[in-house]
Amino acid sequence: MNTMRVVLDAPGQVALLTGNEAVARGALEAGVNYAAAYPGSPTAEVLECIAAGAEMLGVYVEWSVNEKVAMEGAAAASFAGLRSLTVMKCDGLNVALDFLTSLSMAGTRGGMVIIVGDDPSAHSSAKEEDSRYLGRVAHIPVWEPADSREAKEMVKAAFDLSEDIRQPVMIRMVTRVCHASTNAVLGEFPRREVNACLGPEDKFITWIEGHREQEDKLRRAAHRAEKSPFNTYAGPESPETLVIAAGPGSYYAEEAVAQLGLQTSVGVLKLGTTWPLPEKLLRRYLRPALKVIFVEEVEPFIEDNVMALAAQHLDEIGRTSFYGKKSGHVAGINGVGLGELTPSQIMAALANVCGPDPAHERPAPPGWPELAGRDLAFCPGCPHRASFWAIRAALELDGRQGIVLGDIGCYTLGKGRTGYYLLQTMHAMGSGVGIASGLGQLWRFGFSQPAVAVVGDSTFYHAVVPALINARYNQANFVCIILDNQTTAMTGHQPHPGTGIDPNGNPLTAIPLEAVVSGLDIPVTTVDPYQVDEAIQAVYQAVQGPGVKVIIMRRACALIAAKTSAAVRVYVDQSRCRGDACGCARFCSRVFACPANIWDKAQGKARIDEAICNRCGVCASLCPVGAIVVEQYQEKVG
Amino acid sequence: METMRVKPGPQELQAQVMAAGQCTACGMCAGLCPYIRFAGDRVRIVYSCGLEDGNCYRSCPRTPHDLQDLDVQVFGAPREDHLLGTHRDIYYARAARAVRPAAAQYGGVTTALINFAFEQGLIDGALLVGGSLEQPLPRLATTPAGVNNCAGSKYLAVPSLANMLTARRTGLTRPAVVGRPCQVTAVRRLQGLENNHQAAPGPAPNLVIGLFCFWALEAAFSAFLTSRTRSRVTKMDITPAEVIVDTTGGPLSLSLDEVRPFIKPACHTCFDPTAELADVAVGSTEAIPGWNTLVVRSARGEELVQEARTARVLEIKPYGAERLPLLREAAWRKKKRVLEALAGRPEPYLRLPVDYQLAIAGEEVMRDEYYARSS
Ligand SMILES: Cc1cc2nc3c(=O)[nH]c(=O)nc-3n(C[C@H](O)[C@H](O)[C@H](O)COP(=O)(O)OP(=O)(O)OC[C@H]3O[C@@H](n4cnc5c(N)ncnc54)[C@H](O)[C@@H]3O)c2cc1C
Ligand code: SF4
Ligand code: SF4
Repeated sequence: MNTMRVVLDAPGQVALLTGNEAVARGALEAGVNYAAAYPGSPTAEVLECIAAGAEMLGVYVEWSVNEKVAMEGAAAASFAGLRSLTVMKCDGLNVALDFLTSLSMAGTRGGMVIIVGDDPSAHSSAKEEDSRYLGRVAHIPVWEPADSREAKEMVKAAFDLSEDIRQPVMIRMVTRVCHASTNAVLGEFPRREVNACLGPEDKFITWIEGHREQEDKLRRAAHRAEKSPFNTYAGPESPETLVIAAGPGSYYAEEAVAQLGLQTSVGVLKLGTTWPLPEKLLRRYLRPALKVIFVEEVEPFIEDNVMALAAQHLDEIGRTSFYGKKSGHVAGINGVGLGELTPSQIMAALANVCGPDPAHERPAPPGWPELAGRDLAFCPGCPHRASFWAIRAALELDGRQGIVLGDIGCYTLGKGRTGYYLLQTMHAMGSGVGIASGLGQLWRFGFSQPAVAVVGDSTFYHAVVPALINARYNQANFVCIILDNQTTAMTGHQPHPGTGIDPNGNPLTAIPLEAVVSGLDIPVTTVDPYQVDEAIQAVYQAVQGPGVKVIIMRRACALIAAKTSAAVRVYVDQSRCRGDACGCARFCSRVFACPANIWDKAQGKARIDEAICNRCGVCASLCPVGAIVVEQYQEKVG
Repeated sequence: METMRVKPGPQELQAQVMAAGQCTACGMCAGLCPYIRFAGDRVRIVYSCGLEDGNCYRSCPRTPHDLQDLDVQVFGAPREDHLLGTHRDIYYARAARAVRPAAAQYGGVTTALINFAFEQGLIDGALLVGGSLEQPLPRLATTPAGVNNCAGSKYLAVPSLANMLTARRTGLTRPAVVGRPCQVTAVRRLQGLENNHQAAPGPAPNLVIGLFCFWALEAAFSAFLTSRTRSRVTKMDITPAEVIVDTTGGPLSLSLDEVRPFIKPACHTCFDPTAELADVAVGSTEAIPGWNTLVVRSARGEELVQEARTARVLEIKPYGAERLPLLREAAWRKKKRVLEALAGRPEPYLRLPVDYQLAIAGEEVMRDEYYARSS
């Protein structure tokens, strides 16, 4: 992330920007006044880039407690006549959806743009939800850029459209667009006076009449989409085969057409305004085409809507064959409708649909070399590893088959080997606590296992508090463990209400976790997970007896700690290591399994990979014989 | 009797001891192994080490072993006294006033001896029990202050031998143990492994002070105690008639019937009320407040007690002739009960040669003989 380029005041200059940087730049060039977000991959960096220009351009920037509140705040700015932006990942849009479906019935005022990050293949997510459907449910326009250059321009145009139709406009970004860089021409930063106010006539009330307005506004957006510069066509006047593509897939399609030498028969219609569709434009190219291929990630959103359009205009469009997810011709990397698209898969789909023509055959592009399979693991020194070890030990000690419930965060990895396979449920942020609250009532049906819900500190503020109130009030039995690493680690260390800083690092007054939990009249204990034995005792004690209890396992994320930690070195004194023998059996490398604990085959002893060791020293505190040494560097004198 | 061959490993420890309610929470296995942890008085295998064979099984006081073998290992000969175990002397004793901690259970002999052994350089650490009476915890003391902090009996079973891991990690080579009789047995079994040149798990304790113990309580007793008093408990004492609990809000008397349900099940099959394998064993006198019963058993124990006496750390006087029969009777009753309980079990942990068994079973005779001799 290069915030310098985002705030560079050099109109006309060409800059290499990632999609996230481009969105931020576009928003700043559009004169955004208010930006609020909850961090989520792949769009987490957008707000940080805007924050870099906040002071210079007078933008209010906020890491909000969750996406719904972020969107509500952005809506407020719009109501007061300002331009506002809110950013979230698709899961976050689910959280905000209740508000969004109301908001679009009552309408907005100042331009309001919603950036939603979808993660096809779920590179850093739990699901690959296609958020375009939600935009449609909410009756708002949905646009999709194919690269950063376009993303920047789209954001600016989206503000204009939003002000024109008085509705928020959603821009759907996919991971590849967010993270890949392309050149974009920098524009000017507007210097305009703003004065926020709501006049007596500015009312925004959700009621059924709003539905008619929603439909009218969508018609206006569709009308404007016919002329949108974001919908482009390349190919013959009357294509035999029409590829309808959106997002990065449109480039794969153009490339495949060129590679296969199909330029004279195949045209590519690249859609930027995915919803509502530019129907006239589509009909114009559907008419001549005998075959239509859909290229989009992840679900058949355009495919379904275009096929419905074709059915409606059957007389005009005539017989056409459709190829895409429904027909099974266009597959993502994990199967039809599953995972990201790749250039080679689009090439294969095109070759397949356009018939086997030897002249078109090209040697298959080289595949990726097979990489050795590697478990996802907590980072070296990660406090979560120690926490999960303590939880596991405590539940084994308890012996009643305790159940651990998880949710979204780095600690999701607790479902795998690195977390001793502890997690038995994993859904949405905070859901583990809601589920625990339910399990905590099942004693009346014979349920006698302890339930432990693990949540992150950021998640706690985001989504856990109502579930805890529910549990405490209704007298559920379970333990909620807050893995407090003092940051939003998974998405890149954004602050949250417990950290006491704003997006630019300026001080705010923190709301301590303990204060919130105590305020709910729930007993709370704080332990350091690096003190593994104490942590075990705390969990064990907590799962005994009824009621809801909270344990805070507090220890800064190892990646932050590593930057500030003292000059120490951790190594194995192999003369003391018991290795395979009874009383150890390779405990550090085989069981605790921090990636820095490795097995020295030649010596039959353990070793520390000092290149990746974060020097937390937890393995040293667990080694049964003290073979792992944490050595303080000598301060150099003179 | 032919005994079934079993692989002496963690699975068997889990099945025969832990799952069978026979674990005394001595903490030995947890002190040998990172896969075995404890919470309160529960000791459990929390992760499989993958080995079939283990020192955990071999040094547990509740896996099969022969008592005569241990007597020979520790004292060089089988016991002559089948009620109190091998001993050289038995005294009343107390710590000199200057070295007696305020919180001492009775005469503070235990605390004083440990501190004296430190001064003499005999030991470099001590595995003790500290914390509160409601929530006692294993403590590894390496200073007199640390030792004094642990004064006073906590009647819960505490797996304090688990701290052998910490002792080993921190490089201690001559730690002492103060422990319940089961803990003393565990330490002796560990020392037996070392003598047999088994894969040595590290230095075994150097000095073993045993406490008399007719039973210890489960951790659940704490909750019961806090339900009976909101004040902090400062001391607990068990007399033949009642359990006296001193609190910051005044004393509280519990009947033995109230306390009995909390006795650890494993204690009902414990054959050793007076730490028969210790270097010295310390108990109450049940007669003279502020004094201990001190049983000197091994040569090392004798030497330590003599030196402590010479150094005026201990005050010693002859054991009351009228008390001895009572102590022996109490020990005998316990042993007899336990033998009866064990007799019904398919494979009892305790193996006793015939003469050891007869000595308890033929009790009436023995007791009469004894009275005849001592009166
Ligand atoms: C569970 C238990 C049951 C006992 N039952 C009897 C009995 O029936 N009859 C009898 O005469 N004496 C019994 N005792 C022994 C008695 O209570 C005194 O501990 C002993 O007389 C030593 O007294 P002292 O004044 O020398 O102790 P102090 O100088 O006060 O030292 C006490 C020592 O005991 C250790 N300790 C405290 N609690 C425990 C524990 N739970 N496990 C292991 N070590 C511990 C401490 O670390 C300390 O070193 C029992 C002790 C325990 C712990
Ligand atoms: S835990 Fe300690 S003894 Fe065991 S393999 Fe690692 S360094 Fe060696
Ligand atoms: S009695 Fe001691 S060694 Fe045996 S299982 Fe229990 S704690 Fe472990």
